[in-house]
Amino acid sequence: MSQLPPLENPDMTMATETMAAEPVDTTEATSGPQNLWRIALRKFLQNPFAVGGSIVLLIFILTAILAPWLTPYDPAKVDMLHTNLPPGADGHLLGTDEIGRDIFTRLLYGGRISLVVGFAVAFCTVLIGTAIGAVSGYFGGWVDVILMRLVDVMNSIPLLFLNILIMALFGSGFKILIFVLSVTNWMGVARLVRGTFLQLREMQYVEAARAIGVSHGAIIVRHLIRNATAPIIVNATLMVGGAILSESGLSYLGLGIQPPQASWGLMLSNAQNYMLTNPMEALYPGLCILLVVLSVSFIGDGIRDALDPRYRVKISQRRLEQWRERFSKSRT
Amino acid sequence: MTEYLLRRILQSIVVLFLVTVFMFALVHAAPGGPTHVLLGPGMSPEAMKIQEHNMGLDQPLPLQYLHWLKDMLTGNFGYTFKNHIPINTIIWPTVGNTLILMGAAWVLSLIIAIPWGIYNSTKTYGISDNVATVIAYLGFAIPSFWFGILLQEYFSLKLNWFPLSDMWTVGKQGDIGNLLWHMVLPVTVLALGFLAGYLKYSRASMLEVLHEDFVRTARAKGVPERWVIYRHALRNALIPVITVLGLDLPVLVGGALLTENVFNWPGMGREFVEMALAREYSVLMAITVITAVMVVLGNLLADILYAVVDPRVQLGKKGGASV
Repeated sequence: MSQLPPLENPDMTMATETMAAEPVDTTEATSGPQNLWRIALRKFLQNPFAVGGSIVLLIFILTAILAPWLTPYDPAKVDMLHTNLPPGADGHLLGTDEIGRDIFTRLLYGGRISLVVGFAVAFCTVLIGTAIGAVSGYFGGWVDVILMRLVDVMNSIPLLFLNILIMALFGSGFKILIFVLSVTNWMGVARLVRGTFLQLREMQYVEAARAIGVSHGAIIVRHLIRNATAPIIVNATLMVGGAILSESGLSYLGLGIQPPQASWGLMLSNAQNYMLTNPMEALYPGLCILLVVLSVSFIGDGIRDALDPRYRVKISQRRLEQWRERFSKSRT
Repeated sequence: MTEYLLRRILQSIVVLFLVTVFMFALVHAAPGGPTHVLLGPGMSPEAMKIQEHNMGLDQPLPLQYLHWLKDMLTGNFGYTFKNHIPINTIIWPTVGNTLILMGAAWVLSLIIAIPWGIYNSTKTYGISDNVATVIAYLGFAIPSFWFGILLQEYFSLKLNWFPLSDMWTVGKQGDIGNLLWHMVLPVTVLALGFLAGYLKYSRASMLEVLHEDFVRTARAKGVPERWVIYRHALRNALIPVITVLGLDLPVLVGGALLTENVFNWPGMGREFVEMALAREYSVLMAITVITAVMVVLGNLLADILYAVVDPRVQLGKKGGASV
């Protein structure tokens, strides 16, 4: 186990012991859900990559929050007297860019943008995806057909193209970026929730709940969504990384975060224009993106191994889908 | 089989139709509608009226949609707004350029990934396997445009081995050697992305097969290990890999957007971003529709391929929607 973390749980026997393979209605389980979560937490903490990723991510979050106290400079302040300074010169930890802005400061404030976008998008996609997947899987029939066709349509348009098209139509900027990334990324969660629901809605405990008059809403929230929590959490975690990559890519192209705001992607497109005068400038923002995305995917994999999502559809199929999801996000 | 095929084809047509509806609705949902998008907020109401009439935007929406759909189906994408260039002459060359770039990266990554992944499945958690895992993680997490910029800084500016950007050196258009020389860096960036996925995928697929009963049977009856791996397991392991390849065909068309922009490669992705910044929304719609067609056809092809290659597939049960 202390080897490199398996990207896709290669031994199928792993991690089954932590959770019952059968769907469990956690509200009635005598052992209590806390117990299962505690076991999962212990497993998570035993995974050095997941723990390392958590620490790195935590550092990024803290520095982003504490940015105004960590640096005396203003991220947007132009200082034409001190342009293209090398790292360490004049109290500028990582030097300055072509118009004299402090690079370290811009990294900190860029981190704010990236992290907020990442978490906000992950949160919104889970909300949208769960709602649509739940309705689709629970009610079935025409509702399901219509919603799943919508998923097909959204999946047929390459993500980056769709994002750019919407940004071109509706404008760019921080809020629109979060909105656009949220409405174009929910399909994975929706399909996953729908799959779980389809599997579980005919179970006897659901039937029993229905028989004693529990409302649809309560059945969905209390008895069904809980069984999809583990894969949803894993999906949401990986989504943070995907959203950060998308944000930086769009900002790099000039279609995301707009200057004078600092964003890692924006800094990279800047740096590319000044490769000859200041080659080091391109190194830092990219490294930040890489570190954050890597941490998030370590954490996501750690959570997955700890929780062992119980929806054990045929493994190859699940793998295929996970793989495609991550692949399509990273390859932009 | 025929019934399955027909059903899948029909399904694809429905999805494509819905894609066009979706796109059309999207453009018309933009604040102020298409004219506003084109002319910006500062225009006079009269100019807006004239523009709307010229573009047929004063007709009822369903009629507008049908007109537009007819144009799309006949491959008549119209003209750009600012310079009035036929959109067809802009788009199709870029499709070719993208295909050259992506095709090369794709083939290269396959040549490396499949044998390597299979080798790793026989020696899990060995050095080679761990290196592959690192590459896979990096391939997923590294921003492709940053990787491209780093390659440019090191191999173009510092060592001066490869050109910084573009597809040809000026005056050397059509020289294959020159083209290949320009392709090295962008192909490297793209291949890393593909490699990450294919490495893990071929390994996982092979591992799964190696756990199956027939492999155990083969081993039990004394078939040599090499024979087990290359004759018994490999054939079966390649089936899902083939499917993924089919699914990735569309990525070949749409996937290089950022890389093309980094290396100023005259492909669809660069064109798309340029046109997005110029607000040429009819070009954007045309390119998006083309990519969507490719995606749907690619998925269809993958499903068909899967059914052809693997006779175990229960044709009736495989609803194409979720592939």
